[in-house]
Amino acid sequence: MRTNKLCAVLGNIQRYNALLPLTNERPLATLPFACKYRLIDFPLSSIVNANINTVYMIFNEGETQSVFDHIGGGKEWNLEGVHNRFFIHLYQDFLKLKAHNTSYYRPLIDYLEKSKSEYTVYMSSKMICNIDLRAVLKIHQQHNNEMTVVYKKVKPEMICQSDIVLSLTDNGRITEVRPFMEHVQTEEQENLCMDIYIVQTEWLIQRLKEGQHEGAPADLQDFLRKKIHTVKSSTYEYTGYLSNIFDVNSYYNASLDMLNQQKFSSLLYSNQKIYTKLKNEVPTYYSDSSEVSNSQFATGCIVEGKVVGSSISRGTVIEKGTEIIDSIIMPSAKICAGAKIQNAILDKNIVVDPGVQIIGTKENPVVIEKYQHVTNDIITKEAVVSGIDG
Amino acid sequence: MKNEMLAMILAGGKGSRLGKLTKNIAKPAVPFGGRYRIIDFTLSNCANSGIKNVGVVTQYQPLALNNHVDNGTSWGLDGINSGVTILQPYAGSDGGKWFEGTAHAIYQNIAYIDEMNPEYLLVLSGDHIYKMDYEEMLETHKENDASLTVAVLEVPEKEASRFGIMNTDENDRIIEFEEKPENPKSNLASMGIYIFDWNRLRNVLLNSYSKDDHMLDFGKHVIPAYLESGENVFVYRFNGYWKDVGTIDSLWEANMEFIDPNMNLDIRDKSWRVYSKNTISPPNFLTDTASVTDSLIVDGCYVAGHIKNSILSNDVQVKEGTKITESFIMPGASIGKNVTIHRAIIGEDAVVGDNTVIDGTEEVGVVGYSEVIGVTMDED
Repeated sequence: MRTNKLCAVLGNIQRYNALLPLTNERPLATLPFACKYRLIDFPLSSIVNANINTVYMIFNEGETQSVFDHIGGGKEWNLEGVHNRFFIHLYQDFLKLKAHNTSYYRPLIDYLEKSKSEYTVYMSSKMICNIDLRAVLKIHQQHNNEMTVVYKKVKPEMICQSDIVLSLTDNGRITEVRPFMEHVQTEEQENLCMDIYIVQTEWLIQRLKEGQHEGAPADLQDFLRKKIHTVKSSTYEYTGYLSNIFDVNSYYNASLDMLNQQKFSSLLYSNQKIYTKLKNEVPTYYSDSSEVSNSQFATGCIVEGKVVGSSISRGTVIEKGTEIIDSIIMPSAKICAGAKIQNAILDKNIVVDPGVQIIGTKENPVVIEKYQHVTNDIITKEAVVSGIDG
Repeated sequence: MKNEMLAMILAGGKGSRLGKLTKNIAKPAVPFGGRYRIIDFTLSNCANSGIKNVGVVTQYQPLALNNHVDNGTSWGLDGINSGVTILQPYAGSDGGKWFEGTAHAIYQNIAYIDEMNPEYLLVLSGDHIYKMDYEEMLETHKENDASLTVAVLEVPEKEASRFGIMNTDENDRIIEFEEKPENPKSNLASMGIYIFDWNRLRNVLLNSYSKDDHMLDFGKHVIPAYLESGENVFVYRFNGYWKDVGTIDSLWEANMEFIDPNMNLDIRDKSWRVYSKNTISPPNFLTDTASVTDSLIVDGCYVAGHIKNSILSNDVQVKEGTKITESFIMPGASIGKNVTIHRAIIGEDAVVGDNTVIDGTEEVGVVGYSEVIGVTMDED
């Protein structure tokens, strides 16, 4: 494929309060996942795997530090080079322009025009998937409609209230686009709109120019959602692994999914690689006393305790006599001797004192905010707890 | 440090004592310790010592090595004032020339060194496992006002006859050099690490090649010549972990020593990191049938078997019922079901079929790169 056939816009401005405190001081996009990735690695990898060489990312003001930390110059995603670029823009700048009644899509329109691309793909970091965008483009070209919308058939519990679902005819034509409403749920499976869209760039530029006169939403995702049913749209059914991340439970379950060999392979060992920031870490050491099963480990760890059904990120130290069960440990934790952690999510840089117990339930995993030093037991059924020494 | 010292890593040797393991790749490119190649230790030493420019002299089977070293970016040696240059034999107007020895390789690359115009030249070999601050060695060199400083290591007396031995006076000045002496007078073994005043060495080499007594080798020719002509030649005493991994046994042994997180190479020291070219692989996955003790495991591994006192490098697969003990498995190897591997080195991308037994109790077992063993072909 010619390199500038497609350009990409990656929107990362939606906030989900049910994910707190995991999304304190970081956008959903940089939430760690599967020991060594961040959520944004998935859409970014799908984008670069489709040979797209220019990406426009939209973030909220004040949420970009971890983004720059992670993406750096973009080298790992091949976004640093003579032909390859990425741009980061703040959503609040669109809003400011909008408040001044000026052409608020101008920065985006500039980007689209300069990309010289024929098609534009829109994605977000909320839907963890590994999608072949070239295949979606092919469908888009065949149908020659204004928009192509990607969806997946999922169980209702995988959908959140701000999502939209599609009603389709047998041959994939959209008959209805509606917000998801849990309580009036009747179908066993819904066609979840994954908020991945392919459109003609020229078409998008024209619609944005019109839209900004009519007060259309400054958020491109909203803008596109509203277009689905007003223009001729095609659909593309995604059949690979998908996790929809919108609250602590969906995050916890998606993380545990990665311990299922089939799901793990489908997401991380497909013919499209997932790229992430490279770190120079030493091999993980498992001592004589280590007892590990059905778990995942990144490099740089020292494992002397028992780990079952858990996901352990880079640089974690697990001392003797510890038990870690069905838990997600983010980078650089220190779990001291005799501690027990079950059904819990430990954010980055946590220290758990010797013998301390952190125990949640499958339905309500305990979440420990980053940089905490946990000195007392936390045995609870609440999703979020306080009472820890900072 | 203003580019005052240029490092030249002599990475062209064949390493024939490693047998199958250097059949298609140069010794410095042989995998080590799970996620490294042997040359990483030397390159990381350069980067950590503040050396900005490094020439890597390659010759024998350089493909994997060149690919690994690339432009030095993995070691942070690709900045605006720094760089790694791969130096391969080339044909000039007077014909092509292979490097015939360590000193000859430097002589052949005078044009490159002149371009870098260093005050001091650090000559290294790319096949040792160690951590060393070359800047400290340079300080010693300057304090002694030496024209050549040779890094030495104290070796056990009974092993001294396997090394090039430096006999020194009470000021650490070298007064005699003996290559593999039968009756060693000291236990200071040369590590093959030299700091030269570049101008002096340049003149010595040019002078020798303008006549017939070509100085091919540092140990055989250059050092004796320096001593004979009364140059100031000193030792720099090194006392950390150092391992020559030139044989199957020593490579296996070095890997086994590498497992212990408390070994004195201390690879977990964040102030002196060992860098390598990073590849992207998912986290390592240990199934509910796995057991792993006293072992190192790296990204991309899938483990369903029992691993003890071993190293699994990137992307190694070990199926159910398999037992691996005291072994070093190189990247990408695939080990089938119910396999037993004891005291062995399994090469990159090797395939070991179900029920195979590799027992290295007598002599360390070796499976070569991409070698397929114990697999029955049912298809045809």
